[in-house]
Amino acid sequence: MKRLATAIAIAAAAAAGAALGAPDVRPPSALIFPAETVPIVFDHAQHARLGATCEGCHQAAPASTSAADNLIPGEAACRSCHKIDRTRPDKPVAKGQGAARCDACHADSKGGGWMPSEMGTLGGSPTSPAKGPAGQSPSVPMRAVAGAEPPRVALAHPNLKFNHKLHATRGIACALCHASADTQQTSVTRLDLPLMASCLGCHDGKQATARCSACHITEPDGRLKTKLVSALTMAAGGTGPLVPSGSLRGIDAHGPTFRRDHAQAGRDESYCLSCHKRNECIDCHGGVVRPPDIHPSDYVSLHAVDGRRNSPDCSACHRTQTFCVGCHQRSGVASDPEGGLPGRRANNPFGTGTGFKTFHPPGWARDAGGAVISTPRSTSHSLAAKRNIRSCASCHREESCLACHSTDPARGPTFSPHGPNFAATARCRFLAARNKRACLKCHGVGSMELSCE
Amino acid sequence: MQRRGRSTLLALAAFLSASALAAPAAAYDFTLSVRTIGQGYQVRRFAADGSNELLSRRRLTQYMDLAVFDIAPSAWRGDDGDRNLLYFDASLRFDSDFGGYMLGRPTGPDEIRELQQNQFDILYAFLGGRNVGGRVDFQLGRQIHFDLVDFFAFDGGDAIFHVTRKLAVEAYAGTEVRGELPLSAPIYELDGTSAGSRDPATRPAQNSMLRPLVGAAVAGGSDGGPLFARLAYRRVWSATADQLPGEPDSGVNDEKLALTAFAAWRDRIQAAGGVRFNLLLATFDDEQLLVKLRTFGRQWLTLEHAYLAPTFDGDSIWNVFAAGAYRDLRASYELALGPEVKAYARGFARFFTASGRAGGGSLGATWRRGRGLVRGDGYWEDGYGGRKIGVDTSARLAVRRTFELEGRLTGYGWRGDQSSDMAVSTSDQGVVFGVQGGGRWLLGQGVRLHLLGEDNFGTYYLSQFRGLAVLEVDASL
Repeated sequence: MKRLATAIAIAAAAAAGAALGAPDVRPPSALIFPAETVPIVFDHAQHARLGATCEGCHQAAPASTSAADNLIPGEAACRSCHKIDRTRPDKPVAKGQGAARCDACHADSKGGGWMPSEMGTLGGSPTSPAKGPAGQSPSVPMRAVAGAEPPRVALAHPNLKFNHKLHATRGIACALCHASADTQQTSVTRLDLPLMASCLGCHDGKQATARCSACHITEPDGRLKTKLVSALTMAAGGTGPLVPSGSLRGIDAHGPTFRRDHAQAGRDESYCLSCHKRNECIDCHGGVVRPPDIHPSDYVSLHAVDGRRNSPDCSACHRTQTFCVGCHQRSGVASDPEGGLPGRRANNPFGTGTGFKTFHPPGWARDAGGAVISTPRSTSHSLAAKRNIRSCASCHREESCLACHSTDPARGPTFSPHGPNFAATARCRFLAARNKRACLKCHGVGSMELSCE
Repeated sequence: MQRRGRSTLLALAAFLSASALAAPAAAYDFTLSVRTIGQGYQVRRFAADGSNELLSRRRLTQYMDLAVFDIAPSAWRGDDGDRNLLYFDASLRFDSDFGGYMLGRPTGPDEIRELQQNQFDILYAFLGGRNVGGRVDFQLGRQIHFDLVDFFAFDGGDAIFHVTRKLAVEAYAGTEVRGELPLSAPIYELDGTSAGSRDPATRPAQNSMLRPLVGAAVAGGSDGGPLFARLAYRRVWSATADQLPGEPDSGVNDEKLALTAFAAWRDRIQAAGGVRFNLLLATFDDEQLLVKLRTFGRQWLTLEHAYLAPTFDGDSIWNVFAAGAYRDLRASYELALGPEVKAYARGFARFFTASGRAGGGSLGATWRRGRGLVRGDGYWEDGYGGRKIGVDTSARLAVRRTFELEGRLTGYGWRGDQSSDMAVSTSDQGVVFGVQGGGRWLLGQGVRLHLLGEDNFGTYYLSQFRGLAVLEVDASL
């Protein structure tokens, strides 16, 4: 035990140390940022070195109020530096000037540089367009092709609310969220968009609201919308519902074990209800369909092992008094106690309790001769009851216990179920002060024991 | 009672339908979700001669969930539209079993709630308010709550007053929902109170008494914030049924004080825990502490300690029997192997205070690629209760946005540690293999169909079929 505790302490310390410096690298959710098409080649780093500013190109960004706005600059923004001539797709430019060829910026569907179709794609890549001999531009100028259009940018509407204008007016610099943009040597894609963890740097409930619905889109009833699957999300690998990644609380990460281990995360009911409806809780905790990932096929055969161990905790979803007793009665496992007590069923409707077979092993409550065991043994029921009395309650009612543990000699033996000096314990006093009815099931009205003396 | 339950449902549905038809003139909206679940399966039973036989269950369950929101006039809702929000939320369930399982079930005074052929439950139905006056949230009606105190339901009122943005006090009162009451689910039946008993010494009449309830809580921290704590108190009592001279007028059925807390340092380290003191029995009956650490990148180590002592309703004698408890140490490690694969390993050791140990672990991984998901798990447990070892593999494939295929293969073996003289075996052991296959269809906007078939075979039978069909219809007005 001591070794185990030491090992856990060491592991925890090592993990805590590692946790302090561990980077978190992951792509943004495909459900939040669905698949997009950006057939543009753009070297942000090069432009930043040349003095370009974010607002200089993304002129619409500071006024944007919707995450659905297309903030990728149009050709007009590029023309201030790139002397584009649509009649000359392969227009040469002097050294040091911005390229003016189509394929300097536009990419075709295969990732190569795009040129009007009559001229074909010249080969190479958009970042190193094909050149003529000795690296010169082709000596024969290309002609524009009527109607030829490069592949267009197609952005999917993010499943998110974002107001650039609000952030800009509060003086939040672009780089605070798009930190890597000015070092990016390729086009910025959905994979480069900010993660929620970076939002939480400000949205901590102090500097800015921590309300989930401030950014996430919601259902009409105010819960976050989690069913976001579309053809575009699927194209980016986004299937299933939107679930917490752990950025916010860690323990809320819906990882592979969350369905089984969500008890701690579930303690904050209002937090869960940000996304879930109450009936989702009841679907498992009181539902009518067996969840196959919690209870495997034909769980009825296996459940006795789990039930005795109480792993997983049966009471999290079931009430032994009804769920277990009902099924045990019907399946012939439970038996009503035998004996001639008043009101006892003469005939169990399910044929159990007939004494044909007993569930427990020999020596459980009676010895081989049928006499009641007066001294607990390793095979007798008292140890099992102390380990997990709920498993007893799955078949038996109180009357089973009263048969031998009542103070009424008319019922039978009067073995006390209380531990030593029970009368002197706080449990006796608290219980007697709050509910004597339980005591009266074994003790007579006015008996000394009721006052814990 | 069943007839009355159905009448109530019909009346409610008629009222709501009539209200819905008038929706254009009102500013409020509805969501109505209707779910029909059909299940057919078999349950193994020991026959009177000790042989093995299968009983059929043919269950039909109908859920109706209704939410009406934005009830308050829009002028009340403030500039941001988030003040004085009034809504109504309800979930109703009708469950019926036509199978042979129900034949010969006990009726009358011997009736067992779980074995009713037809059952109508109001799972919850309440009028709610959010941010009323910028300070108050409330719920009025039948409601369910989950916290460390318990999973409980009551008919009454609950109000949360937000003193500041990070401090709230809560109070509630009403009568506890009991399995014995009309229109309530058997999940609310209390354990240990001898429902269905005909032994007068166990006071079975006590189950039918109303149980007033009061509770209060104070919570600090904010949703999603790095710190959160809640201290809650609850007391439930009932008048004495069939009181005899010398007996108390009433008794406490439940009285608990619980503290839960959560703390996080960025997304690196989180700690969560709770402790519950049972004032009826003067004992801490639930203690939990969990620490989760992000070790490297997307790798998490979780360490957990738990202590649980079983307790029962205040009217149960088992509270004085239940001296035992257990203490668990658990650890799990989760890691993401690239964007497509997540894997985990978990283990636990359980120490019973009355002697005895158990332990086990599991390993698993999920692989999500494109439209597909494959998951595999293996587990092993041993110690008190018995041994089990098994594997479970499942897969899903979104063939189209509107159609998903799913399948599952399971296999496990077990051996209970308690031998019996039941005729089927000298000890409880066996193996089971199962295969599942099905699909989920999106038939239209808000209309989904889920079909699943399962067959099992193993030590006790060559075939045990289970069929499941779920039809969901969501509508918003």
